[in-house]
Amino acid sequence: MLDTLGAKIISGIDRAGQFGRFLWASTVASLGSCVRPGCYRLIWAQMDIIGVRSVPVIMITGAFVGMTLAIQAYDQLAGMGMEERLGVLINISVVKELGPVLAAVMLAGRIGGALTAELGTMKITEQIDAITSMGTNPIQHLVAPRILACLLLTPLLIVFADLLGIMGGYFVSVIQLDINSWAYWNFSAEGVELWDISIGVVKGFFFGGAMAAISCYKGFTCKQGARGVGQACTEAFVASFITILAMNFALGVIFGSIYKIFWVPTLLV
Amino acid sequence: MQEDKHKNQDSADAGDPLIRTVELTKKFGENVVLDNVSLAIGRGKCTVVIGQSGCGKTVLIKHFLGLLRPTSGQVYFKDTRIDNLSEDKLSGIRTHFGFLFQEGALFDSLTVAENILFPVRRHYKITGKSGIDELVKSKLAVVGLQGYENQFPENLSGGQKKRVALARAIALNPEVILYDEPTTGLDPVRADMINELICKLQNNLGITSIVVTHDMKSAYKIANRIVMLHNGKILADGDTAHIRSHRHPDVQHFIHGKVSRDELSVLQTDENLNNSTSAKEPELRQSNTKFRFFRHSD
Repeated sequence: MLDTLGAKIISGIDRAGQFGRFLWASTVASLGSCVRPGCYRLIWAQMDIIGVRSVPVIMITGAFVGMTLAIQAYDQLAGMGMEERLGVLINISVVKELGPVLAAVMLAGRIGGALTAELGTMKITEQIDAITSMGTNPIQHLVAPRILACLLLTPLLIVFADLLGIMGGYFVSVIQLDINSWAYWNFSAEGVELWDISIGVVKGFFFGGAMAAISCYKGFTCKQGARGVGQACTEAFVASFITILAMNFALGVIFGSIYKIFWVPTLLV
Repeated sequence: MQEDKHKNQDSADAGDPLIRTVELTKKFGENVVLDNVSLAIGRGKCTVVIGQSGCGKTVLIKHFLGLLRPTSGQVYFKDTRIDNLSEDKLSGIRTHFGFLFQEGALFDSLTVAENILFPVRRHYKITGKSGIDELVKSKLAVVGLQGYENQFPENLSGGQKKRVALARAIALNPEVILYDEPTTGLDPVRADMINELICKLQNNLGITSIVVTHDMKSAYKIANRIVMLHNGKILADGDTAHIRSHRHPDVQHFIHGKVSRDELSVLQTDENLNNSTSAKEPELRQSNTKFRFFRHSD
């Protein structure tokens, strides 16, 4: 019993160490890629796959988040006679929490799974060994462009999700639930600050970086066979999902503290 | 295990060895794959490494260019110890090698031309499209695949993939080419074409070849020297005549493709086999075993 527990702890520490080394190598390679114009072509290609092709699905996600929030919150607010404040509730939820988190989760499914499957297949068909054997660093060539593309484009995709979330919420609130348009926007403008929008976008950097690093790591450490690739994809999504939620909580606490220390006193002055 | 004490002059005389391993040991967990392997590979020769599946042949050649790091022991390339070099320093060493992987390991998102140019672009700055086209054509001409520049790997047969992979392996004009089971999965004619290519590259360009194979016909055709690995150790080492006349039963079983009595004992005995095939369905139903078998329709 104790032997099994000990072995699992050692194995867990070993895996954490491996991931730490991979993360360090990826960070160094990504920083190196930023200053090497030769790498820009690879980054650009990944930006097209990761970013441009994800826009429709992210916009759909954002729109449904906004519309669902409007439907769910209307009855609660109407019961208190505050239905005109529906805009502020929808928009702050969308830009600060639900937009970034759901967009990142959608990306973890769409992009993370694809990254793991692609790199995992390359690993089991010895393509990664082939890259190494030709004197090229596979982390520099394969991982750095994917991490940089996710880092740069996840915040942008979150902006798209936010926009469509706001539009979806507006559409249901004003057109379907017959809330006054001026009141909707006026209360939204009062309640949603630039800070709220900014932290939603900044979260995108962390979510995108974590998702890309986890997915690439799972691809690079994929076991042999179709089952190995499938298992790696599942593990990558689950790990990315949990990391996004945990990061969202941690970043919420950190940004909340920063807001209280720096932002509120400025407003009071 | 008794190692080969009667090495042929050709094998012992690695002269000025290009690659050398000293007491190389590799373990994966508790599994010892290579056990104190000391080997010197001479320049310009074709060394064939044979042995049963899982005996460590591929693991051995992956150590030659640092794709794997030894658990203990040393690996030298031209008197430079490479097993302890950083990845950055190894990148330079690796440009002296070409590696033909078992399944080709072509990049499926790139065309044949882009695959061949991959190592070139990483190490050289090429200017002018005509130079690039000429380089690709010349490499494809060596493997007899002119006109395939714009094909994707998915459109190629197994033999063609291996030839494109070989064209990519020679793209940097390497001093050494490592072949990992180059004829596996090919029909005899395509396999012979690959053998001819290996001989041609060695004879015409003076490339040192190290070939891992199970295919004895291929080994006899291309080898200047044959090394047999067994249970992680070198069991036999010499030229083809030496290997053919080697007295060790494991060498004889391997080169003649005959399974030994010990290995055969893991299979069912004839009596058990007869019982298992002659058992009728009612007997299976009535048998007092833990598992019962029924038709799907029951």
